[in-house]
Amino acid sequence: MTTAATNLRSVPLARRFLSFTWLTLGAALLVMAWAAVAQPSILIDTLVTGGMWALMAAGLAMVFGVMNIPNFAHGELFLLGSFTAFTVYSPIRDAMFNDPSLTVLKIFGPFPGMVAALLVGAVVGVLLEVVLFRPLRRRSREQWVMNTFLLTAGVSVVIVNGYRLAFGNNYHGVTRYWDVPPLEILGVPISVDRAMVLVIALVTIGLFAVFLQRTSLGRAIRAVSQDETGAQMAGIDLNRIFVLTMGLSCALAALAGAALLFLFPAYPDVGLQPLYLAWFVVILAGLGNIPGAIVGAFIVSLLQTLTAFYLRVGWVDVMPTVFIILILLFKPSGLFGSAVKGVWEQ
Amino acid sequence: MGNGRMLELSNVEAGYELLQVLWDVSLHVDEGEFVALLGPNGAGKTTTLRTIAGFLKPSGGEITFRGTPIAGARAHAVSRMGLGYVSETLNLFPAMTVHENLQVGATSVRDRGQIAATMDLVFELFPRLHERRGQLAGTLSGGERKMLAIGRGLMASPSLLLVDEPSLGLAPMATVATFEALKALRERGVTIMLVEQNVNTTLHLVDRAYVLEQGRIVLEGTGQELLTNPHVQAAYLGI
Repeated sequence: MTTAATNLRSVPLARRFLSFTWLTLGAALLVMAWAAVAQPSILIDTLVTGGMWALMAAGLAMVFGVMNIPNFAHGELFLLGSFTAFTVYSPIRDAMFNDPSLTVLKIFGPFPGMVAALLVGAVVGVLLEVVLFRPLRRRSREQWVMNTFLLTAGVSVVIVNGYRLAFGNNYHGVTRYWDVPPLEILGVPISVDRAMVLVIALVTIGLFAVFLQRTSLGRAIRAVSQDETGAQMAGIDLNRIFVLTMGLSCALAALAGAALLFLFPAYPDVGLQPLYLAWFVVILAGLGNIPGAIVGAFIVSLLQTLTAFYLRVGWVDVMPTVFIILILLFKPSGLFGSAVKGVWEQ
Repeated sequence: MGNGRMLELSNVEAGYELLQVLWDVSLHVDEGEFVALLGPNGAGKTTTLRTIAGFLKPSGGEITFRGTPIAGARAHAVSRMGLGYVSETLNLFPAMTVHENLQVGATSVRDRGQIAATMDLVFELFPRLHERRGQLAGTLSGGERKMLAIGRGLMASPSLLLVDEPSLGLAPMATVATFEALKALRERGVTIMLVEQNVNTTLHLVDRAYVLEQGRIVLEGTGQELLTNPHVQAAYLGI
Protein backbone atom coordinates (compact mmCIF):
# COMPACT_ATOMS: atom_id res chain seq x y z
CA MET A 1 0.00 0.00 0.00
CA THR A 2 2.99 2.24 0.53
CA THR A 3 3.96 2.05 -3.10
CA ALA A 4 0.45 2.69 -4.39
CA ALA A 5 0.13 5.76 -2.23
CA THR A 6 3.59 7.00 -3.19
CA ASN A 7 2.78 6.56 -6.86
CA LEU A 8 -0.33 8.65 -6.38
CA ARG A 9 1.84 11.51 -5.20
CA SER A 10 4.55 11.26 -7.81
CA VAL A 11 2.31 11.04 -10.89
CA PRO A 12 2.55 14.35 -12.79
CA LEU A 13 -0.53 16.50 -12.46
CA ALA A 14 -1.35 16.47 -16.17
CA ARG A 15 -1.31 12.71 -16.31
CA ARG A 16 -3.40 12.41 -13.19
CA PHE A 17 -6.14 14.47 -14.78
CA LEU A 18 -5.93 12.60 -18.08
CA SER A 19 -6.79 9.41 -16.26
CA PHE A 20 -9.88 7.42 -17.01
CA THR A 21 -11.60 8.61 -13.85
CA TRP A 22 -11.12 12.28 -14.58
CA LEU A 23 -12.14 11.88 -18.20
CA THR A 24 -15.37 10.26 -17.09
CA LEU A 25 -15.99 12.94 -14.48
CA GLY A 26 -15.18 15.66 -17.01
CA ALA A 27 -17.59 14.17 -19.54
CA ALA A 28 -20.32 13.98 -16.90
CA LEU A 29 -19.75 17.59 -15.87
CA LEU A 30 -19.77 18.74 -19.51
CA VAL A 31 -23.07 17.02 -20.15
CA MET A 32 -24.53 18.60 -17.02
CA ALA A 33 -23.26 22.03 -18.01
CA TRP A 34 -24.74 21.57 -21.46
CA ALA A 35 -28.01 20.42 -19.89
CA ALA A 36 -28.11 23.49 -17.66
CA VAL A 37 -28.21 25.64 -20.79
CA ALA A 38 -30.08 23.53 -23.33
CA GLN A 39 -32.33 21.24 -21.27
CA PRO A 40 -32.50 22.45 -17.65
CA SER A 41 -35.00 19.74 -16.75
CA ILE A 42 -32.33 17.09 -17.36
CA LEU A 43 -30.04 18.80 -14.89
CA ILE A 44 -32.78 19.13 -12.29
CA ASP A 45 -33.95 15.54 -12.63
CA THR A 46 -30.34 14.37 -12.34
CA LEU A 47 -29.77 16.33 -9.16
CA VAL A 48 -33.03 15.26 -7.52
CA THR A 49 -32.75 11.51 -8.09
CA GLY A 50 -28.96 11.63 -7.77
CA GLY A 51 -29.29 13.06 -4.28
CA MET A 52 -31.41 10.14 -3.18
CA TRP A 53 -29.22 7.46 -4.78
CA ALA A 54 -26.33 9.18 -3.03
CA LEU A 55 -28.03 8.68 0.36
CA MET A 56 -28.62 5.01 -0.45
CA ALA A 57 -25.17 4.41 -1.91
CA ALA A 58 -23.24 6.29 0.79
CA GLY A 59 -24.66 4.00 3.48
CA LEU A 60 -24.03 0.90 1.41
CA ALA A 61 -20.45 1.97 0.72
CA MET A 62 -19.83 2.78 4.38
CA VAL A 63 -21.04 -0.59 5.63
CA PHE A 64 -18.91 -2.36 3.04
CA GLY A 65 -15.86 -0.22 3.76
CA VAL A 66 -16.04 -0.40 7.55
CA MET A 67 -17.62 -3.79 8.24
CA ASN A 68 -16.90 -5.68 4.99
CA ILE A 69 -20.58 -6.50 4.65
CA PRO A 70 -22.21 -6.43 1.20
CA ASN A 71 -25.64 -5.47 2.46
CA PHE A 72 -28.35 -6.89 0.21
CA ALA A 73 -31.03 -5.93 2.73
CA HIS A 74 -30.30 -2.22 2.17
CA GLY A 75 -33.36 -1.83 -0.07
CA GLU A 76 -35.62 -3.15 2.67
CA LEU A 77 -34.56 -0.20 4.84
CA PHE A 78 -35.85 2.00 2.01
CA LEU A 79 -39.14 0.07 2.28
CA LEU A 80 -39.32 0.41 6.07
CA GLY A 81 -38.54 4.11 5.75
CA SER A 82 -41.28 4.74 3.22
CA PHE A 83 -43.86 2.76 5.22
CA THR A 84 -42.92 4.53 8.45
CA ALA A 85 -43.26 7.91 6.76
CA PHE A 86 -46.64 6.88 5.33
CA THR A 87 -47.89 5.72 8.73
CA VAL A 88 -46.81 8.88 10.52
CA TYR A 89 -47.82 11.26 7.74
CA SER A 90 -51.34 9.86 7.10
CA PRO A 91 -52.97 11.20 10.31
CA ILE A 92 -51.20 14.54 9.79
CA ARG A 93 -52.57 14.72 6.25
CA ASP A 94 -56.08 13.88 7.52
CA ALA A 95 -55.84 16.60 10.16
CA MET A 96 -54.87 19.10 7.45
CA PHE A 97 -57.74 17.92 5.30
CA ASN A 98 -60.24 18.42 8.12
CA ASP A 99 -58.92 21.80 9.12
CA PRO A 100 -57.23 23.61 6.20
CA SER A 101 -56.30 26.51 8.44
CA LEU A 102 -53.45 24.48 10.01
CA THR A 103 -50.68 26.22 8.06
CA VAL A 104 -47.98 24.93 10.40
CA LEU A 105 -48.82 21.37 9.32
CA LYS A 106 -48.83 22.47 5.71
CA ILE A 107 -45.21 23.49 5.98
CA PHE A 108 -43.78 21.12 8.58
CA GLY A 109 -46.24 18.19 8.33
CA PRO A 110 -43.99 15.87 6.29
CA PHE A 111 -40.99 16.16 8.61
CA PRO A 112 -42.18 14.01 11.58
CA GLY A 113 -42.57 11.08 9.18
CA MET A 114 -39.04 11.54 7.88
CA VAL A 115 -37.58 11.82 11.37
CA ALA A 116 -39.53 8.71 12.41
CA ALA A 117 -38.17 6.86 9.37
CA LEU A 118 -34.65 7.93 10.31
CA LEU A 119 -35.14 6.56 13.82
CA VAL A 120 -36.75 3.30 12.67
CA GLY A 121 -33.88 2.80 10.21
CA ALA A 122 -31.30 3.40 12.93
CA VAL A 123 -32.99 0.96 15.32
CA VAL A 124 -33.29 -1.76 12.67
CA GLY A 125 -29.64 -1.23 11.72
CA VAL A 126 -28.52 -1.54 15.34
CA LEU A 127 -30.61 -4.71 15.75
CA LEU A 128 -29.13 -6.25 12.60
CA GLU A 129 -25.62 -5.68 13.95
CA VAL A 130 -26.31 -6.83 17.51
CA VAL A 131 -28.58 -9.80 16.74
CA LEU A 132 -27.05 -11.12 13.51
CA PHE A 133 -23.61 -9.83 12.59
CA ARG A 134 -22.03 -9.74 16.05
CA PRO A 135 -22.73 -13.42 16.89
CA LEU A 136 -21.51 -14.41 13.43
CA ARG A 137 -18.35 -12.34 13.87
CA ARG A 138 -17.66 -13.91 17.26
CA ARG A 139 -18.06 -17.39 15.82
CA SER A 140 -15.81 -16.97 12.80
CA ARG A 141 -14.57 -14.36 10.37
CA GLU A 142 -13.66 -16.91 7.76
CA GLN A 143 -15.56 -16.45 4.50
CA TRP A 144 -17.00 -13.34 6.11
CA VAL A 145 -18.04 -11.49 2.94
CA MET A 146 -19.79 -14.53 1.47
CA ASN A 147 -21.50 -15.39 4.75
CA THR A 148 -22.76 -11.87 5.35
CA PHE A 149 -23.92 -11.66 1.72
CA LEU A 150 -26.08 -14.76 2.25
CA LEU A 151 -27.21 -13.49 5.63
CA THR A 152 -28.34 -10.09 4.32
CA ALA A 153 -30.00 -11.67 1.28
CA GLY A 154 -31.94 -13.83 3.74
CA VAL A 155 -32.84 -10.82 5.88
CA SER A 156 -34.16 -9.13 2.74
CA VAL A 157 -36.46 -12.08 1.99
CA VAL A 158 -37.68 -12.16 5.58
CA ILE A 159 -38.43 -8.43 5.72
CA VAL A 160 -40.17 -8.34 2.32
CA ASN A 161 -42.42 -11.27 3.16
CA GLY A 162 -42.92 -10.25 6.77
CA TYR A 163 -44.04 -6.88 5.47
CA ARG A 164 -46.35 -8.56 2.96
CA LEU A 165 -47.85 -10.68 5.73
CA ALA A 166 -48.40 -7.72 8.04
CA PHE A 167 -49.41 -4.94 5.66
CA GLY A 168 -50.41 -6.69 2.45
CA ASN A 169 -49.55 -6.09 -1.18
CA ASN A 170 -51.24 -2.72 -1.52
CA TYR A 171 -49.53 0.52 -2.38
CA HIS A 172 -49.34 2.96 0.53
CA GLY A 173 -48.35 6.31 -0.82
CA VAL A 174 -49.06 10.00 -1.02
CA THR A 175 -49.58 12.03 -4.16
CA ARG A 176 -47.57 14.89 -2.76
CA TYR A 177 -46.12 16.09 0.52
CA TRP A 178 -46.39 19.83 -0.03
CA ASP A 179 -49.66 20.98 -1.56
CA VAL A 180 -48.38 24.20 -3.12
CA PRO A 181 -47.82 25.38 -6.67
CA PRO A 182 -44.52 24.33 -8.27
CA LEU A 183 -41.44 26.52 -8.13
CA GLU A 184 -39.73 27.67 -11.26
CA ILE A 185 -35.99 27.05 -11.51
CA LEU A 186 -34.06 27.80 -14.72
CA GLY A 187 -37.42 28.19 -16.41
CA VAL A 188 -38.47 24.65 -15.51
CA PRO A 189 -41.40 24.06 -13.19
CA ILE A 190 -40.30 21.83 -10.33
CA SER A 191 -42.61 20.61 -7.59
CA VAL A 192 -41.75 21.60 -4.05
CA ASP A 193 -41.60 17.91 -3.15
CA ARG A 194 -38.79 17.33 -5.61
CA ALA A 195 -36.97 20.48 -4.60
CA MET A 196 -37.20 19.39 -0.96
CA VAL A 197 -35.80 15.95 -1.84
CA LEU A 198 -32.73 17.67 -3.23
CA VAL A 199 -32.42 19.95 -0.20
CA ILE A 200 -32.79 17.03 2.22
CA ALA A 201 -30.21 14.98 0.31
CA LEU A 202 -27.68 17.80 0.17
CA VAL A 203 -28.09 18.77 3.83
CA THR A 204 -27.84 15.13 4.98
CA ILE A 205 -24.82 14.40 2.84
CA GLY A 206 -23.19 17.61 4.03
CA LEU A 207 -23.74 16.76 7.69
CA PHE A 208 -22.56 13.22 7.07
CA ALA A 209 -19.36 14.48 5.43
CA VAL A 210 -18.64 16.88 8.30
CA PHE A 211 -19.30 14.08 10.77
CA LEU A 212 -16.83 11.73 9.08
CA GLN A 213 -14.23 14.39 8.41
CA ARG A 214 -14.20 16.50 11.55
CA THR A 215 -15.55 14.64 14.57
CA SER A 216 -13.69 12.18 16.74
CA LEU A 217 -16.34 9.49 16.16
CA GLY A 218 -16.18 10.02 12.40
CA ARG A 219 -12.41 9.69 12.51
CA ALA A 220 -12.82 6.49 14.54
CA ILE A 221 -15.09 5.05 11.82
CA ARG A 222 -12.52 5.88 9.15
CA ALA A 223 -9.75 4.44 11.32
CA VAL A 224 -11.61 1.14 11.68
CA SER A 225 -12.10 0.97 7.92
CA GLN A 226 -8.33 1.32 7.42
CA ASP A 227 -6.92 -0.86 10.18
CA GLU A 228 -9.02 -2.63 12.80
CA THR A 229 -6.05 -3.67 14.90
CA GLY A 230 -4.65 -0.15 14.89
CA ALA A 231 -8.03 1.23 15.90
CA GLN A 232 -8.21 -1.15 18.86
CA MET A 233 -4.70 -0.13 19.90
CA ALA A 234 -5.98 3.45 19.96
CA GLY A 235 -8.71 2.42 22.39
CA ILE A 236 -11.57 2.27 19.88
CA ASP A 237 -14.25 -0.29 20.70
CA LEU A 238 -14.96 -2.06 17.40
CA ASN A 239 -18.41 -3.22 18.52
CA ARG A 240 -19.44 0.35 19.21
CA ILE A 241 -18.24 1.50 15.79
CA PHE A 242 -20.03 -1.37 14.03
CA VAL A 243 -23.30 -0.54 15.82
CA LEU A 244 -22.93 3.11 14.87
CA THR A 245 -21.99 2.38 11.25
CA MET A 246 -24.88 0.00 10.70
CA GLY A 247 -27.35 2.32 12.43
CA LEU A 248 -26.25 5.33 10.40
CA SER A 249 -26.25 3.49 7.09
CA CYS A 250 -29.74 2.06 7.64
CA ALA A 251 -31.05 5.43 8.84
CA LEU A 252 -29.87 7.06 5.59
CA ALA A 253 -31.60 4.40 3.48
CA ALA A 254 -34.82 4.78 5.48
CA LEU A 255 -34.65 8.56 5.09
CA ALA A 256 -34.35 8.12 1.32
CA GLY A 257 -37.45 5.93 1.37
CA ALA A 258 -39.37 8.49 3.41
CA ALA A 259 -38.36 11.47 1.30
CA LEU A 260 -39.31 9.70 -1.94
CA LEU A 261 -42.71 8.45 -0.69
CA PHE A 262 -44.51 10.61 -3.27
CA LEU A 263 -42.57 8.86 -6.06
CA PHE A 264 -42.27 5.34 -4.61
CA PRO A 265 -45.29 4.31 -2.52
CA ALA A 266 -44.60 1.68 0.12
CA TYR A 267 -45.16 -1.87 -1.15
CA PRO A 268 -43.27 -5.09 -0.47
CA ASP A 269 -40.81 -4.94 -3.39
CA VAL A 270 -40.23 -1.19 -3.47
CA GLY A 271 -36.69 -1.61 -2.15
CA LEU A 272 -35.50 -3.65 -5.10
CA GLN A 273 -34.83 -0.82 -7.56
CA PRO A 274 -33.10 1.45 -5.03
CA LEU A 275 -31.00 -1.52 -3.85
CA TYR A 276 -29.80 -2.34 -7.34
CA LEU A 277 -29.17 1.29 -8.20
CA ALA A 278 -27.17 1.75 -5.01
CA TRP A 279 -25.14 -1.33 -5.91
CA PHE A 280 -24.58 -0.02 -9.45
CA VAL A 281 -23.27 3.17 -7.92
CA VAL A 282 -21.02 1.46 -5.38
CA ILE A 283 -19.55 -0.90 -7.99
CA LEU A 284 -19.06 1.99 -10.40
CA ALA A 285 -17.34 4.11 -7.76
CA GLY A 286 -15.19 1.40 -6.21
CA LEU A 287 -16.34 -0.74 -3.31
CA GLY A 288 -16.42 0.90 0.07
CA ASN A 289 -15.60 4.49 -0.88
CA ILE A 290 -18.14 7.05 0.31
CA PRO A 291 -17.18 10.22 -1.64
CA GLY A 292 -16.89 8.05 -4.74
CA ALA A 293 -20.37 6.68 -4.09
CA ILE A 294 -21.79 10.19 -3.76
CA VAL A 295 -20.26 11.33 -7.05
CA GLY A 296 -21.15 8.01 -8.69
CA ALA A 297 -24.78 8.43 -7.65
CA PHE A 298 -25.05 11.62 -9.68
CA ILE A 299 -23.36 9.98 -12.70
CA VAL A 300 -25.79 7.06 -12.61
CA SER A 301 -28.70 9.42 -12.18
CA LEU A 302 -27.49 11.52 -15.14
CA LEU A 303 -27.37 8.41 -17.29
CA GLN A 304 -30.87 7.47 -16.19
CA THR A 305 -32.24 10.91 -16.93
CA LEU A 306 -30.61 11.07 -20.36
CA THR A 307 -31.95 7.62 -21.16
CA ALA A 308 -35.48 8.52 -20.08
CA PHE A 309 -35.31 11.77 -22.03
CA TYR A 310 -33.84 10.59 -25.32
CA LEU A 311 -34.47 6.85 -25.39
CA ARG A 312 -37.29 5.31 -23.43
CA VAL A 313 -38.13 5.08 -19.74
CA GLY A 314 -37.94 1.30 -20.03
CA TRP A 315 -34.18 1.54 -20.67
CA VAL A 316 -33.54 3.51 -17.50
CA ASP A 317 -31.90 0.62 -15.64
CA VAL A 318 -30.19 -0.81 -18.71
CA MET A 319 -28.01 2.15 -19.63
CA PRO A 320 -26.26 2.56 -16.25
CA THR A 321 -25.55 -1.18 -16.23
CA VAL A 322 -24.02 -1.07 -19.70
CA PHE A 323 -21.95 1.93 -18.65
CA ILE A 324 -20.75 0.13 -15.51
CA ILE A 325 -19.75 -2.93 -17.51
CA LEU A 326 -17.73 -0.69 -19.82
CA ILE A 327 -16.05 1.08 -16.89
CA LEU A 328 -15.17 -2.18 -15.19
CA LEU A 329 -13.62 -3.51 -18.42
CA PHE A 330 -11.13 -0.65 -18.32
CA LYS A 331 -10.85 -0.04 -14.59
CA PRO A 332 -11.82 -3.15 -12.60
CA SER A 333 -11.43 -1.40 -9.22
CA GLY A 334 -14.12 1.13 -10.12
CA LEU A 335 -13.77 4.83 -10.90
CA PHE A 336 -12.41 5.79 -7.48
CA GLY A 337 -11.04 2.42 -6.44
CA SER A 338 -7.44 2.34 -5.27
CA ALA A 339 -5.05 0.11 -3.41
CA VAL A 340 -5.38 2.23 -0.28
CA LYS A 341 -8.30 1.06 1.76
CA GLY A 342 -10.53 3.62 3.42
CA VAL A 343 -14.17 4.65 3.44
CA TRP A 344 -13.55 8.33 2.99
CA GLU A 345 -10.18 8.73 1.30
CA GLN A 346 -9.41 8.28 -2.37
CA MET B 1 0.15 0.61 43.10
CA GLY B 2 1.90 0.32 46.45
CA ASN B 3 5.20 -1.23 45.46
CA GLY B 4 5.13 0.63 42.16
CA ARG B 5 4.51 -2.53 40.21
CA MET B 6 3.17 -1.59 36.80
CA LEU B 7 2.78 -4.93 35.07
CA GLU B 8 3.00 -8.46 36.33
CA LEU B 9 2.68 -11.73 34.42
CA SER B 10 2.51 -14.89 36.50
CA ASN B 11 2.73 -18.31 34.89
CA VAL B 12 1.17 -17.14 31.62
CA GLU B 13 0.50 -19.74 28.96
CA ALA B 14 -0.71 -18.66 25.53
CA GLY B 15 -0.71 -19.65 21.88
CA TYR B 16 -2.71 -20.06 18.70
CA GLU B 17 -5.29 -22.82 18.47
CA LEU B 18 -3.34 -26.09 18.86
CA LEU B 19 0.07 -24.45 18.99
CA GLN B 20 1.12 -23.33 22.44
CA VAL B 21 3.77 -20.62 22.26
CA LEU B 22 4.27 -19.34 25.81
CA TRP B 23 5.03 -21.71 28.65
CA ASP B 24 4.84 -20.53 32.23
CA VAL B 25 6.03 -17.00 31.53
CA SER B 26 6.41 -14.80 34.61
CA LEU B 27 7.82 -11.32 34.45
CA HIS B 28 7.20 -7.86 35.84
CA VAL B 29 7.79 -4.21 35.04
CA ASP B 30 7.99 -1.59 37.79
CA GLU B 31 6.97 2.02 37.51
CA GLY B 32 9.52 4.12 35.66
CA GLU B 33 11.51 1.11 34.51
CA PHE B 34 12.85 0.45 31.04
CA VAL B 35 12.65 -3.30 30.46
CA ALA B 36 13.52 -5.36 27.40
CA LEU B 37 12.35 -8.78 26.30
CA LEU B 38 15.04 -10.40 24.20
CA GLY B 39 15.31 -13.63 22.33
CA PRO B 40 15.64 -15.25 18.93
CA ASN B 41 13.04 -15.33 16.16
CA GLY B 42 10.02 -17.41 17.07
CA ALA B 43 10.75 -17.40 20.80
CA GLY B 44 7.35 -15.87 21.57
CA LYS B 45 8.30 -12.22 22.18
CA THR B 46 5.55 -10.79 19.97
CA THR B 47 3.08 -13.34 21.34
CA THR B 48 3.90 -12.11 24.85
CA LEU B 49 3.15 -8.49 23.91
CA ARG B 50 -0.02 -9.43 22.02
CA THR B 51 -1.22 -11.37 25.04
CA ILE B 52 -0.57 -8.44 27.39
CA ALA B 53 -2.25 -5.98 25.01
CA GLY B 54 -5.41 -8.09 24.84
CA PHE B 55 -5.14 -9.32 21.24
CA LEU B 56 -4.62 -12.89 22.43
CA LYS B 57 -6.39 -14.60 25.29
CA PRO B 58 -4.00 -16.49 27.57
CA SER B 59 -4.93 -20.12 28.23
CA GLY B 60 -3.48 -19.97 31.71
CA GLY B 61 -1.87 -17.70 34.28
CA GLU B 62 -2.55 -14.16 35.38
CA ILE B 63 -1.75 -10.70 34.06
CA THR B 64 -2.20 -7.66 36.26
CA PHE B 65 -1.76 -4.06 35.19
CA ARG B 66 -1.47 -1.60 38.10
CA GLY B 67 -3.14 -4.16 40.33
CA THR B 68 -6.07 -4.91 38.02
CA PRO B 69 -6.32 -8.32 36.34
CA ILE B 70 -6.41 -7.82 32.54
CA ALA B 71 -5.97 -11.36 31.20
CA GLY B 72 -8.71 -11.89 28.61
CA ALA B 73 -9.79 -8.23 28.60
CA ARG B 74 -10.52 -6.80 25.14
CA ALA B 75 -7.73 -4.90 23.42
CA HIS B 76 -9.44 -1.49 23.32
CA ALA B 77 -10.26 -1.74 27.02
CA VAL B 78 -6.64 -2.55 27.88
CA SER B 79 -5.55 0.45 25.82
CA ARG B 80 -8.02 2.69 27.64
CA MET B 81 -6.60 1.58 30.99
CA GLY B 82 -3.32 3.22 30.03
CA LEU B 83 -1.41 0.34 28.49
CA GLY B 84 -0.14 1.44 25.09
CA TYR B 85 1.04 -1.02 22.46
CA VAL B 86 3.10 -0.35 19.35
CA SER B 87 2.97 -3.47 17.21
CA GLU B 88 5.63 -4.83 14.91
CA THR B 89 3.35 -4.22 11.90
CA LEU B 90 2.60 -0.67 13.18
CA ASN B 91 -1.05 -0.82 12.06
CA LEU B 92 -1.16 2.83 11.02
CA PHE B 93 -4.09 4.32 9.11
CA PRO B 94 -2.44 4.68 5.69
CA ALA B 95 -5.04 6.94 4.07
CA MET B 96 -5.09 9.40 6.97
CA THR B 97 -2.60 12.19 7.53
CA VAL B 98 0.06 12.07 10.22
CA HIS B 99 -1.98 14.60 12.19
CA GLU B 100 -5.16 12.53 11.94
CA ASN B 101 -3.33 9.36 12.96
CA LEU B 102 -2.20 11.13 16.10
CA GLN B 103 -5.71 12.46 16.73
CA VAL B 104 -7.13 8.94 16.51
CA GLY B 105 -4.47 7.86 18.98
CA ALA B 106 -6.03 10.29 21.46
CA THR B 107 -9.55 8.89 21.02
CA SER B 108 -9.79 7.93 24.69
CA VAL B 109 -8.67 11.38 25.89
CA ARG B 110 -11.44 13.90 26.56
CA ASP B 111 -9.41 16.92 27.59
CA ARG B 112 -8.52 18.97 24.48
CA GLY B 113 -5.74 20.78 26.28
CA GLN B 114 -4.11 17.50 27.16
CA ILE B 115 -4.37 16.29 23.56
CA ALA B 116 -2.65 19.46 22.31
CA ALA B 117 0.08 19.15 24.94
CA THR B 118 0.76 15.49 24.11
CA MET B 119 0.87 16.31 20.42
CA ASP B 120 3.45 19.00 21.13
CA LEU B 121 5.49 16.43 23.05
CA VAL B 122 5.29 13.97 20.14
CA PHE B 123 6.38 16.65 17.67
CA GLU B 124 9.22 17.62 20.01
CA LEU B 125 10.40 13.99 20.18
CA PHE B 126 9.98 13.50 16.44
CA PRO B 127 10.42 16.85 14.63
CA ARG B 128 10.21 14.87 11.40
CA LEU B 129 6.54 14.09 12.10
CA HIS B 130 5.85 17.79 12.52
CA GLU B 131 7.29 18.46 9.06
CA ARG B 132 5.10 15.73 7.62
CA ARG B 133 1.95 16.32 9.64
CA GLY B 134 -0.23 16.96 6.57
CA GLN B 135 1.10 13.98 4.65
CA LEU B 136 -0.69 10.64 4.37
CA ALA B 137 0.74 7.97 6.66
CA GLY B 138 0.92 5.56 3.73
CA THR B 139 3.46 7.82 2.01
CA LEU B 140 5.96 7.95 4.91
CA SER B 141 9.33 6.19 4.95
CA GLY B 142 9.91 3.18 7.18
CA GLY B 143 11.56 5.22 9.92
CA GLU B 144 8.88 7.89 9.86
CA ARG B 145 6.17 5.26 10.05
CA LYS B 146 7.83 3.78 13.11
CA MET B 147 7.98 7.24 14.71
CA LEU B 148 4.32 7.80 13.91
CA ALA B 149 3.34 4.47 15.46
CA ILE B 150 5.19 5.34 18.67
CA GLY B 151 3.71 8.86 18.56
CA ARG B 152 0.21 7.50 18.13
CA GLY B 153 0.80 5.15 21.05
CA LEU B 154 1.86 8.13 23.18
CA MET B 155 -1.22 10.19 22.32
CA ALA B 156 -3.34 8.30 24.86
CA SER B 157 -0.78 9.26 27.56
CA PRO B 158 -0.18 5.62 28.54
CA SER B 159 1.49 4.81 31.84
CA LEU B 160 3.16 1.81 30.20
CA LEU B 161 4.19 1.54 26.57
CA LEU B 162 4.90 -1.83 24.93
CA VAL B 163 7.07 -1.45 21.84
CA ASP B 164 7.64 -4.37 19.47
CA GLU B 165 10.93 -4.36 17.53
CA PRO B 166 11.47 -0.64 17.01
CA SER B 167 14.65 -1.33 15.03
CA LEU B 168 13.14 -3.89 12.65
CA GLY B 169 13.71 -2.99 9.02
CA LEU B 170 15.22 0.40 9.80
CA ALA B 171 18.40 1.90 8.45
CA PRO B 172 21.08 2.28 11.18
CA MET B 173 20.51 6.05 11.38
CA ALA B 174 16.79 5.63 11.88
CA THR B 175 17.40 2.96 14.50
CA VAL B 176 19.58 5.34 16.48
CA ALA B 177 16.92 8.07 16.24
CA THR B 178 14.20 5.68 17.45
CA PHE B 179 16.26 4.52 20.41
CA GLU B 180 17.12 8.12 21.28
CA ALA B 181 13.42 8.92 21.34
CA LEU B 182 12.67 5.97 23.60
CA LYS B 183 15.45 7.10 25.94
CA ALA B 184 13.99 10.61 26.00
CA LEU B 185 10.56 9.21 26.77
CA ARG B 186 11.91 7.19 29.59
CA GLU B 187 13.51 10.31 31.05
CA ARG B 188 10.05 11.86 31.02
CA GLY B 189 8.80 9.08 33.26
CA VAL B 190 7.08 6.79 30.76
CA THR B 191 7.54 3.14 31.67
CA ILE B 192 8.60 1.15 28.61
CA MET B 193 8.77 -2.51 27.79
CA LEU B 194 10.64 -3.26 24.63
CA VAL B 195 10.96 -6.34 22.44
CA GLU B 196 14.20 -6.44 20.49
CA GLN B 197 16.55 -8.62 18.51
CA ASN B 198 19.24 -5.98 18.51
CA VAL B 199 20.65 -7.34 21.78
CA ASN B 200 23.86 -5.35 22.16
CA THR B 201 22.34 -1.87 21.74
CA THR B 202 19.33 -2.78 23.82
CA LEU B 203 21.27 -4.08 26.79
CA HIS B 204 23.26 -0.85 26.96
CA LEU B 205 20.03 1.12 27.03
CA VAL B 206 17.67 -0.67 29.41
CA ASP B 207 17.49 -1.16 33.17
CA ARG B 208 16.55 -4.78 33.08
CA ALA B 209 15.96 -7.49 30.53
CA TYR B 210 14.42 -10.92 30.20
CA VAL B 211 15.60 -13.52 27.72
CA LEU B 212 12.87 -15.62 26.16
CA GLU B 213 13.76 -18.87 24.39
CA GLN B 214 11.23 -21.33 22.97
CA GLY B 215 8.44 -19.70 24.91
CA ARG B 216 10.13 -19.77 28.31
CA ILE B 217 11.99 -17.12 30.28
CA VAL B 218 15.53 -18.47 30.58
CA LEU B 219 17.38 -15.47 32.01
CA GLU B 220 16.66 -12.28 33.84
CA GLY B 221 18.97 -9.50 34.96
CA THR B 222 20.09 -5.90 34.65
CA GLY B 223 21.58 -4.79 31.35
CA GLN B 224 25.11 -4.99 32.75
CA GLU B 225 24.55 -8.46 34.24
CA LEU B 226 23.30 -9.84 30.96
CA LEU B 227 26.09 -8.22 28.95
CA THR B 228 28.58 -10.23 30.99
CA ASN B 229 26.50 -13.42 31.09
CA PRO B 230 28.28 -16.24 29.21
CA HIS B 231 25.08 -17.57 27.62
CA VAL B 232 24.10 -14.13 26.32
CA GLN B 233 27.64 -13.49 25.09
CA ALA B 234 27.79 -16.78 23.25
CA ALA B 235 24.28 -16.86 21.82
CA TYR B 236 23.53 -13.18 21.11
CA LEU B 237 26.70 -11.13 21.19
CA GLY B 238 28.96 -13.49 19.32
CA ILE B 239 31.76 -13.14 21.86
